[in-house]
Amino acid sequence: MRQFRSMIYPYVVWLAIMVVVPMLLILLYAFTKEGNSVTTFRFTLENFTRFFSDAVFLDVLKRSLIIAIVTTILCVLLGYPIAYAIASGPEKSRMFWILMITMPTWINMLVRTYAWVGILQDDGLLNKLFGLFGLEPVKMMYTTFAVVLGMVYNFIPFMILQIHASLAKMDKSLLEAASDLGANRWQSFLRVTLPLSLPGVLSGITLVFLPAVSSFFIPKLLGGGQYVLIGNVIETQFLTSGDWNFGSAISLIMAIIIMLSMYFTRKVDTDPSANGRSE
Amino acid sequence: MKKLIQFKNIVKEFDGKLVLKGVNLDIYENEFVTLLGPSGCGKTTLLRILGGFLTQNEGEVLFDGQEISKVPPYKREINTVFQKYALFPNMNVYNNIAFGLKIKKEPKDIIEQKVKRMLKLVNLEDYADRSVTEMSGGQQQRVAIARALVNEPSVLLLDEPLGALDLKLRQEMQHELKKIQKEVGITFIFVTHDQEEALTMSDKIVVMKDGEIQQIGTPTDIYNEPVNEFVANFIGESNIIEGVMLQDKVVMFEGRKFDCVDEGFAENEVVDVVIRPEDLDIVPREAGKLKGVVKSVLFKGVHYETMVETKVGTEITVQMQVSDDRPVHNEAANEKISANDFYLDVEDIEELDEATIIARADAQAWNPEEDELISIKEVQYTIKKENGTYPVTFSTAAGTSVTVNMIVKDENRIISQENEEQIFAVNFFKKVDEIQESIALETDLKTWANASAWSLDGEQAVEITDVKYDFDPEHITPGTYAVTFATKGYEYKIDTTDKHEVGEEVGLTFTPEDIHIMSRAQ
Repeated sequence: MRQFRSMIYPYVVWLAIMVVVPMLLILLYAFTKEGNSVTTFRFTLENFTRFFSDAVFLDVLKRSLIIAIVTTILCVLLGYPIAYAIASGPEKSRMFWILMITMPTWINMLVRTYAWVGILQDDGLLNKLFGLFGLEPVKMMYTTFAVVLGMVYNFIPFMILQIHASLAKMDKSLLEAASDLGANRWQSFLRVTLPLSLPGVLSGITLVFLPAVSSFFIPKLLGGGQYVLIGNVIETQFLTSGDWNFGSAISLIMAIIIMLSMYFTRKVDTDPSANGRSE
Repeated sequence: MKKLIQFKNIVKEFDGKLVLKGVNLDIYENEFVTLLGPSGCGKTTLLRILGGFLTQNEGEVLFDGQEISKVPPYKREINTVFQKYALFPNMNVYNNIAFGLKIKKEPKDIIEQKVKRMLKLVNLEDYADRSVTEMSGGQQQRVAIARALVNEPSVLLLDEPLGALDLKLRQEMQHELKKIQKEVGITFIFVTHDQEEALTMSDKIVVMKDGEIQQIGTPTDIYNEPVNEFVANFIGESNIIEGVMLQDKVVMFEGRKFDCVDEGFAENEVVDVVIRPEDLDIVPREAGKLKGVVKSVLFKGVHYETMVETKVGTEITVQMQVSDDRPVHNEAANEKISANDFYLDVEDIEELDEATIIARADAQAWNPEEDELISIKEVQYTIKKENGTYPVTFSTAAGTSVTVNMIVKDENRIISQENEEQIFAVNFFKKVDEIQESIALETDLKTWANASAWSLDGEQAVEITDVKYDFDPEHITPGTYAVTFATKGYEYKIDTTDKHEVGEEVGLTFTPEDIHIMSRAQ
């Protein structure tokens, strides 16, 4: 195997250029003052104090986290039954449904989100449908509902695929064993199926929470200009205000929040006490 | 004893294939019953029907007199030890065993007491907090048994539970399982394809094949008095010889009468005689009830497996005349043609036609450049129904021809009254390259010599198992060679502690009790 060692060098170089250098640049920007000239930078914590002392930014951060958490919870609640139904079907129908779930992701996310604009807007598809039943048009665009709907719609396939994978690889004889030992279907599910599919749920949570918390175009399209999430703030700093230093600092704060949440998810996943005698 | 489980005419099919063909079986309280059979015999299906994981297409399953086909598994007083244990990987040993009790919502202290007792029963007292995924196969097996037994079922089902263990551990577990069954005093229904396992542990063995029960009995019954050839072969190794029951307690085989202990057969009924390898003894030739020659000796660890042939098959030897004749070459038409002389019986002449002659003479014409066969258009011959030599000429449409001889001779046949069979074969002519190019020489030799064997009444074909020749087919030269065809003789497998030499002339002896008679009807 030794002679293959040298083959990893191109990848090391690639990683350095594409991952490490940009990260270092973000770090550098976050801790420096204005002026993009590399030669004259001055270190400061100003960017961070500005973020944490301004109630508006903290508000946006709070709202972003709440929306991401709500999205994640909805994805679990909707995705689990779907994944369960798919996994309990025969092999052929499983393949079909997984394809159905994956297929929309082949189309650009932006395009699909625009489609929701057409459905949700005041004279859109849904409201026209309501009109047929004599209902008043409902305002849906530019509400929390629309943003959460857009996020759940976009991210739920990740949840379903992860949960399905862990359900599908479960040994079916375990359910027979549970039934043999006196457990009815509901008890078997609670005591065997659910605990064994938790790793899938946890990785699904990670895969949904991360893009949800930092998403900026879904709130922009479906939430309108006034519905600002943290992703939008970062975007504005870079593209509109041109304050790269402040933008980098917010990115760094988000990265740390995400890293912490991942760390805790992992911890729950591998916690040996979950295996213990306690009820 | 009380009947606990009754299978009544159970039929089960999967995708139109019958897996169980009307099984009737009673199982009593406190029995260790083994369902034994090769894979695909339906034993696991029967077990799964009892466990409630499958429903039969026809028939009834009675448990304690109650029909239970509609009762779901979790309401049955039956627990199962699954083939691959099916332990819950998300729980430790304690929680796996406590699973059933927790479902029943038993008080915590009672659960703890019962689980501890089970851990003791299966010798895993120190393993309560272990994760089951970290345990060896044997330990997982014990956990699976404890998890099932802790629910105090009236019946424990075990589906090939020892299959995944190595030999030594398997033997250990066999004794342990038997011990546990005696201790808890409930019915064990054990499924296996391993006859040794069945013989070691069971009170009752049910031998199954192709969805049907072949025999039900104690291990000794089944071993000593198998009802048919399948059971005899499946339960240990056997010598099975054809014989005739002359009267009660007298059987004739190998042309001699022997005393036996079996009775109840029809007079002169044709039967199979079973003698176990360990029941036969090798003695000096004069003292033997049967006489034979040692054919092979295999060392098996505790004993030698000695094969003794008591009778060679019926043999016939023919002459093969090998020439290096070249095919006739017609350069003008760019064709080659070849054929062999061949022998015929007078009796064959009546049915002789051109196709037969072409086949027997192996006549062929071909284009040497393209290597393509050309059909033979004309076969010219005259023949009389008496011995002699008759020329035959084969020609193609282009006029390429070759002439060979048909030699009519008396039939070459050997009749063995002793073996009650006859064997035929004729001398034949071949070319060097035909022998060198043969891919399946023994089959070709049989075809070329037209060799066949029949029972004396002419009704049953007998297989020619042996083709003997002493030339090297790769480097054969023109000349005459002997080829011998033979049918199978009688061979006995004998387990001995002494080593015998191959070729030694010996006698075989046995007692009347060693002979087991099986009816051929089944």
